[in-house]
Amino acid sequence: MDTLTETIPASKTETKKTVKEKTAQPYWNPYFSGIGLGLVLLAAFVIMGRGLGASGAFSTVVAVGVNTIAPHHAEGNTFYQGYLSDGVSPFKNWLVFEVLGLIVGGFISGALAGRVKKMTEKSAHISFNKRYMFAFIGGALMGIGAKLARGCTSGQALTGGALLNVGSWIFMLMVFAGAYAAAYFVRRQWL
Amino acid sequence: MNAPLFKFGLFGNEVSLIVAFIIGIGFGFFLERAGFGSARKLAAQFYFRDMAVFKVMFTAIITAMLGLFYLSWIGWVDLSQVYLVPTNVWPDLLGGLILGVGFVIGGYCPGTSCVAGATGKVDGYWFILGLVFGIFAFGEAYPWISDFYNSSYMGQITLPQLFNISYGVLVFVVVLIALGGFLLAEKVEKYFAKKDAEAAR
Amino acid sequence: MKNFLAHLTTQRKLGLFALVLGFFAIFAGSPYNRTKITLNAKDLALIAEKNADNVSVQDVANWIIQGKVDFRIIDTRPASEYAAYHIPMAQNIRLSELMDQHFYPTDKLVLYSDTGEDAAQGWFILKGQKYQAVYILKGGLDTWKNQILFPRLPDNPTPDQLASFNKIKEISKFFGGTPQTGTKEEQSQPKVKNLPKLQLPENIPNATPRKRRKEGC
Repeated sequence: MDTLTETIPASKTETKKTVKEKTAQPYWNPYFSGIGLGLVLLAAFVIMGRGLGASGAFSTVVAVGVNTIAPHHAEGNTFYQGYLSDGVSPFKNWLVFEVLGLIVGGFISGALAGRVKKMTEKSAHISFNKRYMFAFIGGALMGIGAKLARGCTSGQALTGGALLNVGSWIFMLMVFAGAYAAAYFVRRQWL
Repeated sequence: MNAPLFKFGLFGNEVSLIVAFIIGIGFGFFLERAGFGSARKLAAQFYFRDMAVFKVMFTAIITAMLGLFYLSWIGWVDLSQVYLVPTNVWPDLLGGLILGVGFVIGGYCPGTSCVAGATGKVDGYWFILGLVFGIFAFGEAYPWISDFYNSSYMGQITLPQLFNISYGVLVFVVVLIALGGFLLAEKVEKYFAKKDAEAAR
Repeated sequence: MKNFLAHLTTQRKLGLFALVLGFFAIFAGSPYNRTKITLNAKDLALIAEKNADNVSVQDVANWIIQGKVDFRIIDTRPASEYAAYHIPMAQNIRLSELMDQHFYPTDKLVLYSDTGEDAAQGWFILKGQKYQAVYILKGGLDTWKNQILFPRLPDNPTPDQLASFNKIKEISKFFGGTPQTGTKEEQSQPKVKNLPKLQLPENIPNATPRKRRKEGC
């Protein structure tokens, strides 16, 4: 393969940008990140007597949404009521505040490492729209799976895993099994 | 020390929300540090290219597990006051399977999708939309599936209780599984990295 | 050995540390530790002397009527006696099962038995597990029956006695009891048939106090 080279005058290569653009730094060693995460989880156990979570906050949002648009319908449904009938504002919920912190923490880490950028994660072998569609479908499946299992990877796998909870370990094994099984069929998206 | 602090009345519900926020910040921070705001990094786990998901998850699990075990052993934490999600065998199993499939298709999980959204990933936003839709679909279908949802209930049960083995032994077993898994993961990563390099030539 | 350790990367050192911790966990015993209790004898003696270790039947009756949810009532009698009659909202927990229970550390726990001796044994057991608010029902179930279910008006009541009896009358009716106002001895003997049935009056909240907030994911 011939490579064409062309000498570019120095002036043309001067960037006129005055904004400092931080190049994305490499990720932390996964083991150290894992220890950090484990310590956060331990702090939750010791301070609150509970573990982490994420899907529960989204369930609250859905329940409140349904209740606002169609309160009669929400009343008759035990699932939504589980997130609404506490007597206090449903948003005064531990998981909701934790997820808000999640967003802030993720942003802080990303900003410090120059990784905050509008982009889409995908391989070169698939279009943007297809990626968005898959993201939506994946999210929907996750929502169903997380509700069925009463938790997601943060709540059931991480928290329950550390507590040696039977249901959590079953869940965790099946998550890996399901993901590996389905991986072949969507490999275009990633590889 | 009487811990869990909240359960022993050290502070009330209002303060616990602030605690939630701070813990959430730590959670999101380390998730992003590990690179879990990137769907490609997350999905790479399931093609054996990047085993970070396994490494981070199991490191976190054994860190928290060992920490909790020893803290309660010296009497600082009352382990029985830490909440355990009750086990429903079949819903947990099926839910895990569906979640796993969704994971590799969507590329995120609920926690990491928040981190992705926070760092500007457009596909993260789509994932969150899908998540909300999925939960809504579940809620609507709930009257028909609530029987299954509540089936095979085993209560709050831990692995030591299930197998009638001492807690400490299981802790050791989990540490072995994790460490063994890490060694294996490193080997697998190297193997596939070589394979990819060869295929590119 | 030093050489070996020096050559390990930080990762490997951490892994080794985890392995060591995991190994010792085998011999560390159960983290739940639920058979021994530690008692601070002086504290408990002071509490008992000041009578801060019991609650009156009137207090408990009021808590139930007011619908409070931060307390638990524990009936330490055998299951058959519990089934025949128990104070509304009471749970049947035998002394031998008391160690296995997990209450909120900040709940008020009220123990009762027929006269209170068994309840007192239970008091020590629970206090030894660091529950902060443990009480014996003063006088036990017998006093409950005498003062709440079947309160007696003395034969020649003073205005004070009449006033307090009238107050108790309403409470008694709430619990399905029958206030005794007759002077005949037969009427004032609570017969077994008169004991209220197990159905709790409708306005009593369900027996699970303090709705726990969702703690799952």
